[in-house]
Amino acid sequence: MLRAQARSQAVYRVSFALDALGSALITLAEFAAFALVLPRFGSLSGWTLGEVSLLYGLAEISFVLMDLLFGGFDAPNLSQHVRSGSFNTFLLRPAPLRLQIFGSDFALRRITRVFLAMGILAYGVMASGAILTPEAALLLAGSVLGMIAFFGGLFVIGGTLTFWTVESVEAMNVLTYGGRTLISYPMDIYGQFLRKTFTYLIPAAFLSYFPVLHVLGRPLPDGLPPLAAYLSPLVGPLMLAAAFAFWRVGVRHYGGTGT
Amino acid sequence: MQAALKPTPCLNVPLYASVARLGFRRQFAYPQAALWGLITNLFFGVLRIAVLVALFGNTPQVAGYTVQDAITYTGLTQAFIMALSLFGWTDFMRTVHRGEVASDLLRPHDLLAFWAAQDAGRAAGQFVLRGLPMLALFALIWGATFPAGLGGWTLTTLSLLLAWACGFAFRFLVNCAAFWSPDAVGFGRFAWAVLGLGSGFLMPLAFFPLWFQNVLAFTPFPSMMNTTVEIWLGVKTGAEAWTALAVQLGWALLLFGVAAFVLSRGLRRLEVAGG
Repeated sequence: MLRAQARSQAVYRVSFALDALGSALITLAEFAAFALVLPRFGSLSGWTLGEVSLLYGLAEISFVLMDLLFGGFDAPNLSQHVRSGSFNTFLLRPAPLRLQIFGSDFALRRITRVFLAMGILAYGVMASGAILTPEAALLLAGSVLGMIAFFGGLFVIGGTLTFWTVESVEAMNVLTYGGRTLISYPMDIYGQFLRKTFTYLIPAAFLSYFPVLHVLGRPLPDGLPPLAAYLSPLVGPLMLAAAFAFWRVGVRHYGGTGT
Repeated sequence: MQAALKPTPCLNVPLYASVARLGFRRQFAYPQAALWGLITNLFFGVLRIAVLVALFGNTPQVAGYTVQDAITYTGLTQAFIMALSLFGWTDFMRTVHRGEVASDLLRPHDLLAFWAAQDAGRAAGQFVLRGLPMLALFALIWGATFPAGLGGWTLTTLSLLLAWACGFAFRFLVNCAAFWSPDAVGFGRFAWAVLGLGSGFLMPLAFFPLWFQNVLAFTPFPSMMNTTVEIWLGVKTGAEAWTALAVQLGWALLLFGVAAFVLSRGLRRLEVAGG
């Protein structure tokens, strides 16, 4: 199914190239705005551009990969299926429901953003002076996997909400796109309240902030043990599992109304 | 059909006024969605303020901006997002792709003026619905500042109107790509990314390295928002502000001229394609 989608999108080559370039430019413009401005100020509360690039690159790689995989669950996409009734077709097909929605919005153009984000991360590794031991590389890879699962979970929750309501799902954007922006920068800049909320209430800090602190050889805040930096591959899938539990409730509700 | 497809441009003021009024009223159709949009924008505002405050650190002033100015700047950009369509705009593109533009052409009006009126109404509606509450919230929570005196308000208002004019003409021009490409959305995505960086939406342009500011000075993008922010904040005053307004006016006229020209070429193409 993914291959068929990828092939169909590559048919119009020029249009696809322009689309892919445009996608990459979104990442590039945002990062360039920050990177061009930083030298003027010196640092971001003690973080160099290289160090921030680690956070930014990790967040971007994960979010774009997540979007490729889970895009079908994103509220605007799913609510369109629900409203137009084409969601029923998904239910009728003799294939697992979740698998059909996975990759139902496989926008290949986003692949350029992945490459660009990898470039930003590579720059971060080189410029921050982080020593990339196999252990550190594994830690960062785990961070990416954890984030894909975590944000994928948020997309699934947002999509599930569309079974009940269409209008207020925009609130999920605060958590998804807002969360991505939040973890693109060192969390100590947000002040105590926000940082603690996104550590202990919504465990976003475990995803990449703690792993990056650990790779840079810095201590974790609040006297947390170094072990907390390794929790991303646990926090993410937990969120995803909870999201799918909610999804099952939603699908049952959807089937129940008989629409 | 041939004659109908070449409408004689007539400036039917009551018609455009009612089109603008409808565009204005349409924005209030989904108040709940607008409320959530406001909350989302406010949250992003919080994040952006955090980055700017952390950048400033203990520096009192950078490129004529204080920390307080930077916070007001953030409030302004968050307030203008929807009114100035800084995330992009594909409404006209859609009517071309769907062929609805053909029925629009049957009506006796100038297409560019029609869309300009509609977008002016839309922008005003979004400014009232989302912009003003956002500014009020920023003023209450972070003490965002307002233009100084009657002179400041006059200059700022003029600049905001010109920013809309430049922005609309640019957006319309990008949408005209739909006449030539069946998939102009990708082209649009490219254009909106440039708009975000060049208009000062992502960062105040004054913070950028000089070489980059010099490059942008040759483009219309600063006129689409950054100029208005600088006049609002009083970074530009007096003769400097009037010069900035003149530059905005120049770009607005030029962009509208180019948009009208490209539109007429596009419509001629539409005849060939549609028969």
